[in-house]
Amino acid sequence: MKRIEQGVRFVMKASIFLLLTLSVIVPSVALAKGDAKRGEKVVKSRKLGNCMACHYIPGVEFPGNIGPNLVESMKNYSDSDREMVRQWVWDARAYNPDTIMPPFGPNKILTKEQIEDVVEYLYSLKKIKK
Amino acid sequence: MKSSVMRPLLVVLTIIGLTSLLIVSVSAGTDNNVKQIKEYTPSVSPEEYERRYKEFYGDATEQMAEEGNPGELMLDDGEELFHTVDGSKGKSCASCHGEKGKGLVGAATTFPKYDPELKGIKTLALQINICREKNMGAKPLKYESYDQLALELYVKSLSNGMPINVSIDGPARPFYEKGKAFYYKRQGQFNFNCAICHVKYAGYMARANLISNNRHHADHWPSYRLKWGEVGSLQRRFRGCMKNTRTKPLPYQSEEYRNLELYLTYISNGLPIQVPGFRM
Ligand code: HEC
Ligand code: HEC
Repeated sequence: MKRIEQGVRFVMKASIFLLLTLSVIVPSVALAKGDAKRGEKVVKSRKLGNCMACHYIPGVEFPGNIGPNLVESMKNYSDSDREMVRQWVWDARAYNPDTIMPPFGPNKILTKEQIEDVVEYLYSLKKIKK
Repeated sequence: MKSSVMRPLLVVLTIIGLTSLLIVSVSAGTDNNVKQIKEYTPSVSPEEYERRYKEFYGDATEQMAEEGNPGELMLDDGEELFHTVDGSKGKSCASCHGEKGKGLVGAATTFPKYDPELKGIKTLALQINICREKNMGAKPLKYESYDQLALELYVKSLSNGMPINVSIDGPARPFYEKGKAFYYKRQGQFNFNCAICHVKYAGYMARANLISNNRHHADHWPSYRLKWGEVGSLQRRFRGCMKNTRTKPLPYQSEEYRNLELYLTYISNGLPIQVPGFRM
């Protein structure tokens, strides 16, 4: 009986592990709307997003040029593309398996909430003229 | 009676368990798949990198190095140590290798190299400690300590201006391959590898840092680095990049770092050794 119990427990553990690994690929949906102000802090914090290591971001001295200018990039995303933008920040490997961009979601660099805030900040860049 | 029911059930459970484990390991395995390395095409030629470097830094580094490289002081101390008797056998390095290291001129150009006794890669740092223990009966020097770096720097300087000539033939080959696999392995919280920065995005700016291509990574160590305020080794630089990219740094002279040093030094083959280097 003990051996069955052990077997069942093993399968349960394995399935939970499997579910967790899979859930890492799928970004969360139902979350409260993010906040662009908080998002800006996350983006510009060296310890959190540090996005300017690679991207041009307005108001940052010496931004890197490894990735595209995010003001330009955001012109290509409309309001209905939120899921795509969220996926870029959550895990860019969905679009480019060999990307240099860190997988902020799965590797727990940012929380789901912080990523929601970052997405709101990115959309606020659309308001910048020119 | 009971066990005849349990056995098939257990088999089924084991199969389900193993299958899910297999799926898990396959889905997690993509990150550490080092078997087929797809080498990156360098983003810039060494010449173009040089041009961008000049454009960005001007000749600030050169000027500072000319005004005085503090590494030169360590070099003098290294020379003194080379001629100092130490250990139970009453010998100095010079007892075997000659005054002013005559017998070691050019020796550093072939390091790191395969060593049959180690069954692995022997760096110059390792060689010096092997000599101390075996031939002098002296204590090995702690890696990255002042005396260790000073001796290594002095021995290397005896090959200054001579082209690096490291071999990856025969038994050295698999260690070279391992070094290369490490260079391309995704690691740490940011999921970077060395090559993505130093090959694919060399010449780009990571914030205010111009990322170097790896052609000149192994010709100038030990180097004085302004940021450290002292002389350090190539392996200390490995640790720096690993810390910066949130990867757990490995110990000095670990097998991984010795293989990595072989890989990077081989890339610098043909370039003249120039120590002590000077870096920002
Ligand atoms: C180490 C480099 C690096 C960092 C750090 C980085 N990115 Fe990126 N990012 C890139 C690169 C390179 C691309 C272009 C696509 C590719 O090559 O994968 C990209 C693409 C993107 C895109 C899609 C742009 C487009 O044109 O469609 C968005 C959005 C984005 N990044 C947002 C962010 C945000 C927000 C952060 C910080 C939380 C961030 N990135 C941090 C390198 C980086
Ligand atoms: C996210 C980018 C990035 C990654 C990943 C990275 N480095 Fe670097 N590395 C840099 C930057 C920036 C510098 C400082 C400027 C320069 O010299 O390139 C540097 C400097 C170096 C230097 C000193 C070069 C010199 O001649 O002074 C060495 C050696 C080096 N890195 C090796 C490595 C190794 C080995 C790895 C992997 C374990 C690695 N780097 C990973 C960005 C990176």
